[in-house]
Amino acid sequence: MADVRIRPVNELDIEAICRIDERITGKYRPDVWEDRVVYFIRRDPDSSQVAEVDGKVVGFMLGEVRGGEFGMEEPTGWLEFFGVDPSARERGIGRGLTDALLAGFKKRGAHVARTMVRTQDAEIARFVAAMGFTPAPVSALEKRLA
Amino acid sequence: MSDEVRMLPERYHEAIEHWRQHNFPDYPKLAEVWPKFFPKDDAFCLCAKVAGDIPAEIEIGDDVGKPKALEPKELAPEAAQHLLSQIRAQASTEFGSIQQHQMTLFRAQEPQDQAWALRVMAEELRHGYQMVHLLTSSDWSPVTETKPEDMVEEILSMQTGSHVLAAFNLEFDSFLDNVVFAAFIDRVGKYQLTMQRISAYKPYASSMPPMLREEAFHLAAGVIPLRRWVEHAARGDGYIDMPAIQKAVHKWFGRGLEMFGDERGGQTNVKFGLKDLNNRDAQDQYIQECTKMLDDLNVRYVRARFPDRTRDEADAIFARVASGETVDGLSRDDLLRLPDRRFFRRRGEFAFQMVGTRGETFTDVEKYIAHVLASLPEAYRASIDVKHWADLQRAVIVGTTPLKEAMASMPRLARQAGGCPCGKSVRWVVDAAGGAGGGERLSP
Ligand SMILES: CC(C)(COP(=O)(O)OP(=O)(O)OC[C@H]1O[C@@H](n2cnc3c(N)ncnc32)[C@H](O)[C@@H]1OP(=O)(O)O)[C@@H](O)C(=O)NCCC(=O)NCCS
Ligand SMILES: [Fe+2]
Ligand SMILES: [Fe+2]
Repeated sequence: MADVRIRPVNELDIEAICRIDERITGKYRPDVWEDRVVYFIRRDPDSSQVAEVDGKVVGFMLGEVRGGEFGMEEPTGWLEFFGVDPSARERGIGRGLTDALLAGFKKRGAHVARTMVRTQDAEIARFVAAMGFTPAPVSALEKRLA
Repeated sequence: MSDEVRMLPERYHEAIEHWRQHNFPDYPKLAEVWPKFFPKDDAFCLCAKVAGDIPAEIEIGDDVGKPKALEPKELAPEAAQHLLSQIRAQASTEFGSIQQHQMTLFRAQEPQDQAWALRVMAEELRHGYQMVHLLTSSDWSPVTETKPEDMVEEILSMQTGSHVLAAFNLEFDSFLDNVVFAAFIDRVGKYQLTMQRISAYKPYASSMPPMLREEAFHLAAGVIPLRRWVEHAARGDGYIDMPAIQKAVHKWFGRGLEMFGDERGGQTNVKFGLKDLNNRDAQDQYIQECTKMLDDLNVRYVRARFPDRTRDEADAIFARVASGETVDGLSRDDLLRLPDRRFFRRRGEFAFQMVGTRGETFTDVEKYIAHVLASLPEAYRASIDVKHWADLQRAVIVGTTPLKEAMASMPRLARQAGGCPCGKSVRWVVDAAGGAGGGERLSP
């Protein structure tokens, strides 16, 4: 396969990210991705990454180091949104993106990375497990508000 | 990973604060809107930031591998001169852009757009602060006879019309200018900072990473509002249409290109280890990036114009329209396009060559001027800047003004000396009590 280039996300990747999301979810949601990408660019533009093949963005992973979430004071690297174009999967791109984010988290002083996966997303769970994530000693709880 | 924070000595800090009161009166609004638009982000800090882990050895040019300079006197005299003019020009752009943004900030229609512009302005102020820190925290006496306080005074005294680079001497006519400026002119800023990240002067190299992180947001503050306007324009429910955006692009693009310096130059900076690209190579990359930006906006437009089509259908429509076909009433002229790099140029390799937006050449100067005027926003068309350009264009063609002279000519929109306009002092950098200074702009 052609060389994969992993680099920090920028504002001109939004349309490509919308395209990947659309291929995964079937929905075109430019406003959603504009808000999300700008959030990460504003807070730490070197943390979130995209993967390019032949100059085309085929994967993205957005995340950052934060402390104080859910009462966990230690700085934590959060993997928040990611996706690889279906036509570019199973070639190590997801792993490459994960490695880049985790290395950045470590450089920023985090000793732990966390993410959350919905129970129904078994494929994502398997990918995250392949990336070395294990169940954390916390439970996600919720209460429906009538 | 975190940067070291440095503050200026009191008198310089005060001078910048005072400058801010006069030139950026909306600054206090930023703190008001911060929790709403930037929740969880660290509060804005007017300070210099110095990055750690910067290579200690020169990365490019004749002295690769030798230790980077920690003081100006450690650089070769000519290199130090280049560096000093880089820092002064950079400072001028930082303060200059705030003066421009302030003119039309109040005309933003969306509270978010305004909040973003306010943050951009505050961060430009921090960048200016950073440059002043560089000029005042080291000994520049081997390089210039000008005292540090006079260098700072000179920078703070500049106004729209007396800045170093033409892009910072154009007035903003509407909030569209704030946004197109961020998308195009801050993008040149990003290139300059990126090239200077390898600077052989270590304090300058260490200033770049924090500035670049902020610059990334400035570009987004340009591109995101454009993306949303384009969508409204496609649906026909917006207040900014595609021709208005196109004309604003014509206003700014050439000035952005000229910020790179003459296409044929820049090798000296590479040789001295001050930048890692020559002017033309940097400009080529910039043009490619701007093309990509407009393509993305066009895709967004096409999607919104044909909401029932799938992604693949819309991509196919865009490809056909881009190649010149008209599809379902949509033609290439309805979309945005970057003008030819030679269009409306006043400096560099293509200065005053009569090339139109699409690369067509003109032989009749009046026809060319008419073409340029028709391509520019109406308010700008009537400006002193455009009139000055048209006069020069005529004079270059008939031969009454030599090209070199025309390239160096800038309209005088403001008085040179823009000292503090309040009664406290004639100078921004105060050492003793003084009288009132004249700083009012001449209305064009
Ligand atoms: C999950 C995803 C990012 C994986 O991308 P990818 O580029 O195909 O992943 P890689 O090729 O790097 O695979 C890395 C590892 O994960 C495993 N993996 C990836 N997808 C998997 C799947 N569907 N099932 C099981 N394992 C999987 C691979 O086997 C590989 O393991 P290995 O290295 O031990 O062999 C991609 O499938 C995707 O984008 N899915 C949809 C994501 C989504 O819905 N995002 C929205 C929520 S934010
Ligand atoms: Fe700046
Ligand atoms: Fe900027």
